[in-house]
Amino acid sequence: MSNTRHPHPNGEPRASQSDGRPGRNFNVVVLRQDGPGRPSYWERHIVEYEQDMNCISVLQKIAANARTADGRKVAPVAWDCNCLEEVCGACTMVINGRVRQACTALVDRLLQDNPEQIELRPMRKFPVIRDLMVDRSRMFNTLKKLKAWVPVDSYLDMGPGPRQSQENQQMAYVLSKCMSCGCCLEACPQYLKIELERKEGETEEEFHARERELHDRAFIGAMGIAAVDLFNTNPVGRMTATERLDALVAEGGIQICGNAQNCVKVCPKEIPLTTSIARAGRAATVHMLKRWFDR
Amino acid sequence: MPAIRIENWERFLVSILGPSSPFGQHDFIIRRIHSLVGLVPIGAYLIFHLATNAAIIDGVAAYQHRADQIHRLGPTTIFVLEWLFIFLPILFHGMIGMLIVARGERNVANYPYGGNVRYTLQRWTGAIAFVFILWHVFHMHGWIRAEWWISGVASRFGGHRFDPENAYSAAEAIRASWLIIVLYAIGVLASVYHLANGIWTMGITWGVWTSPHAQQWAKIPCLTFGLLLGFLGLGSLYAMVAAEPPQTLVAPDTANIPPAIHASPRS
Repeated sequence: MSNTRHPHPNGEPRASQSDGRPGRNFNVVVLRQDGPGRPSYWERHIVEYEQDMNCISVLQKIAANARTADGRKVAPVAWDCNCLEEVCGACTMVINGRVRQACTALVDRLLQDNPEQIELRPMRKFPVIRDLMVDRSRMFNTLKKLKAWVPVDSYLDMGPGPRQSQENQQMAYVLSKCMSCGCCLEACPQYLKIELERKEGETEEEFHARERELHDRAFIGAMGIAAVDLFNTNPVGRMTATERLDALVAEGGIQICGNAQNCVKVCPKEIPLTTSIARAGRAATVHMLKRWFDR
Repeated sequence: MPAIRIENWERFLVSILGPSSPFGQHDFIIRRIHSLVGLVPIGAYLIFHLATNAAIIDGVAAYQHRADQIHRLGPTTIFVLEWLFIFLPILFHGMIGMLIVARGERNVANYPYGGNVRYTLQRWTGAIAFVFILWHVFHMHGWIRAEWWISGVASRFGGHRFDPENAYSAAEAIRASWLIIVLYAIGVLASVYHLANGIWTMGITWGVWTSPHAQQWAKIPCLTFGLLLGFLGLGSLYAMVAAEPPQTLVAPDTANIPPAIHASPRS
């Protein structure tokens, strides 16, 4: 499903051969946007095939050439990337309709699935900063709302923490692999985009405060729920479990989950998100009953 | 209300209703009640309703007997029970459900996974079942058992077709048109799917089955339950269409019913 429907520039010249074999060119269409709140538009680029390319090297080639398929000189396509080994999540984008990291999206595989072209667009659930760069600060606000950390700050040496069972360690390790890339949120039909427009005369601080307030009321998503599960399992984190559970059942909490289970399918780190959701659901049930009867 | 950019018509609703939930800080408890009410009393009543309707499979006399057994409770008791345990819970579940549907998007085209298909179907069948039930209750029952409403409105617009003293009237109302038969088949299947899949998602929501293995396993009883209930519903519908008219309007089994109750005017 496409939220912004634009015609692909079919009339423009295409790469003469795009079967992805060495020495050939292939088409890349990019959904571009010049800035926040600006209209988006599709642009076609022709990229020369090289062996073992990924979508980052494709974008590097596009930036170096900075010409569309019909030879028009354009500003280079902007994108985010950092680690280039699928542990930072910065280069997350929608590639051929599916959200994933550009660094591990291999061109050979993509051209096998669709020899015609590779389609790149920014994530739909986050405000676009420019082209393929999005503002994912809502996820950070979610983690702050859920107190997704272990409080150990103190002036005193508190000594070693409680021991963790092997079973807990293994479960926590899998959950701790989350890199907040946002794939689970992008694929989630219950997670809706929030994009604020800056009012006239509004300072940066006022704008972010307004944004934060809105983020606090909106759905936390699978990433947030798994964070609660992780920190409430930790022996030290468990000491402040009630605060996290309060945030879990607040407005925008776990109740919005519709059990479509796309999150677990698209998670690049293969985190058992739906298990976390069910475990957090059980904790929320118990928490609700406690709140009712232990008043 | 902050300005939120509208990307398509589904999100238009979100822009009106606010960014997250229509129930604010009571969202969690309202959604959990919505979930619970779907199982009890609504789900339980659906089983009861389809099971009692299935008496038509044994013939019109058995069906009449079942109707008499239910209506022996008397009009006041039935009025209290049907509003408290059937109509009000369905109205609550349905209206909250419509808001939930309006607050999601459909993305099966890009993420065609089994769970996503079931999620989408759950929303479609929920909306279909709600509209169907509103019409079905009007069609058979008439919504309100007041004389002025029944004679003035319900009967005039094709409602209130079921007469408990002549239970065969239900079969007549259904076979009046092939369109009604099709609507009933769709309505029954939508309701049954929504309940069976709803029980499965409820198990995750409340934290009954948590591990992928347990969730996979839980699909088996939910699917079996749905198939059995679906066959029961469609079997009853077929029997309704195929039912033979009764010889007399008063079924033979009503002899043991006290005449005082049987003759009482239904308000």
